[in-house]
Amino acid sequence: MIKTGSSTVRRLVWQVAEVRALVQETYRVRSILLNVNGWPGHLPGQHVDLRLTADGGYQAQRSYSIASPPEDKFVTLTVEHVDNGEVSPYLVGEVRPGDQFELRGPIGGYFVWTAAMGGPLVLIAGGSGITPLMAMLRHRDRQNSPAVARLMYSSRSLEDIIYREELDTMVHRDANLCVIHALTRKQPEGWIGYRRRIDKALLAKTCFPPEERPNIFVCGPTPLVESVSSLLVELGHDPHAIRTERFGPSGGYIP
Amino acid sequence: MAEPPIARGFKSRRQEQTPKDRLPPGQYVTTDFPVLSAGPTPQIKLEDWTFAIQMDGSILGKWRWKEFEALPQTTKKTDIHCVTKWSKLDTSWQGVTFDDLLRALGLAKPPAPYVMAHCDGAYTTNIPTKDLIDGKSMIATRYDDLPIPPAHGGPARLLVPHLYFWKSGKWVRRLRFMQEEERGFWESLGYHNYGDPWKEQRYDGD
Amino acid sequence: MTDNGSDLVLDGNAAAGLLQEIFVLDVTSAQTRCEACGFTGTVGSLHLYAAPMGAVLRCTHCNGIIMRAVHTSHGHWLEMTGARYLRF
Repeated sequence: MIKTGSSTVRRLVWQVAEVRALVQETYRVRSILLNVNGWPGHLPGQHVDLRLTADGGYQAQRSYSIASPPEDKFVTLTVEHVDNGEVSPYLVGEVRPGDQFELRGPIGGYFVWTAAMGGPLVLIAGGSGITPLMAMLRHRDRQNSPAVARLMYSSRSLEDIIYREELDTMVHRDANLCVIHALTRKQPEGWIGYRRRIDKALLAKTCFPPEERPNIFVCGPTPLVESVSSLLVELGHDPHAIRTERFGPSGGYIP
Repeated sequence: MAEPPIARGFKSRRQEQTPKDRLPPGQYVTTDFPVLSAGPTPQIKLEDWTFAIQMDGSILGKWRWKEFEALPQTTKKTDIHCVTKWSKLDTSWQGVTFDDLLRALGLAKPPAPYVMAHCDGAYTTNIPTKDLIDGKSMIATRYDDLPIPPAHGGPARLLVPHLYFWKSGKWVRRLRFMQEEERGFWESLGYHNYGDPWKEQRYDGD
Repeated sequence: MTDNGSDLVLDGNAAAGLLQEIFVLDVTSAQTRCEACGFTGTVGSLHLYAAPMGAVLRCTHCNGIIMRAVHTSHGHWLEMTGARYLRF
């Protein structure tokens, strides 16, 4: 059972968030750094609800994983442009520093990893599913955690890998961190890495064996999450040790 | 409570293309067909499928798939409105109207004022019988001339398009006549008992 | 028209916001036991359906409904007859 500290005993209220900075991560993914006065802190893996109010009163609400570690001052959300989306094109294309919207959180104590939980740690991401797992890795890095960690990250192409340079830097600095990329649609010249979807063979080869009882987190589109979880169970992992976050068609949003 | 900050430049895309006279209040038109289910999509084999009409303890009529397909078929073109605010215009359905089911049972009129629709996955929804008769509803088996896909309620779903679409129960198996109204799955959890989109009856208390 | 029903299921964790409007505690971290089949699991790991209308949380073992929650303009509704207990 995880103790989730201050976030368990507090009513969720809507707070004002102000955009302080923007980072273009890939051609269709942008990170938004938000200042939230009185932010109570969060645990890596938690998410927030964002609420946008248009002139005239129309409101739209979406959930986003927090990409920043608790050690950061600002709350970072990393948003992918969804074609024909209502909210993501606005967040990725229009938002500027100084803009304000409402946010509530942090939410969710189930999909959480803290350095205190230790390793080995297995993180499996599909596309923008990397976001909550990045909060975990950034936290691990800031805490100088000795937990051995492996990230398996499936993206369509090299250009679609979010946080690519930061992940490379972390790996070069930390012998206990290993990142395996799978590029499923397009690979650059000379690519010697995986070029297929994460399958049983890849998991068997790169995941820690069940006897080592790793903490496993899987996040991304529902089909990937379901496929990876059942394969891990087939490989002998305890289902209770596998925590999943399916992103769903609109990012897992409940109005 | 303070006014929420306006998100500069944020606009609802949905409000831009609304033919106002066809849309109930608060709805927007969609060209896709969102799927919403209270549980996993049941995998139903046609050879095992049955549909029944029941009152009190008795089964008034029961049909297997081939028998059901042999009943009079009606095609209906209609708009549908989901309580989650999307509306889809000019949808085309084919199936057996409630009126033809009553005729098949030899009933000149409905034997009770209310119906509970029972569906696979333990889903239920309640409708007054007067909202099912006179061509207002059917047990639909085809959408756009093709068998309804499982995710959209196939092989057969209830269709009551003048009410919010949660009343058009997917994977319907049984209609049970009731003398007194009981509330179904969503109606017993805060949603409106009747659900008229033109009066925006989304929630209990509206 | 989508035929893919499997896209509809989310993890109970995605219901945390809605449930925390009702419970001050984070229910998604709690352990629960399915009334129908006895299977135990964390609320956050349950299968979540019907997200745009509310939350229908189902047992990952037998698919029985453990908990349902709705937030309407008139208040919150919660039904938990499928949960033998919640343990925080």
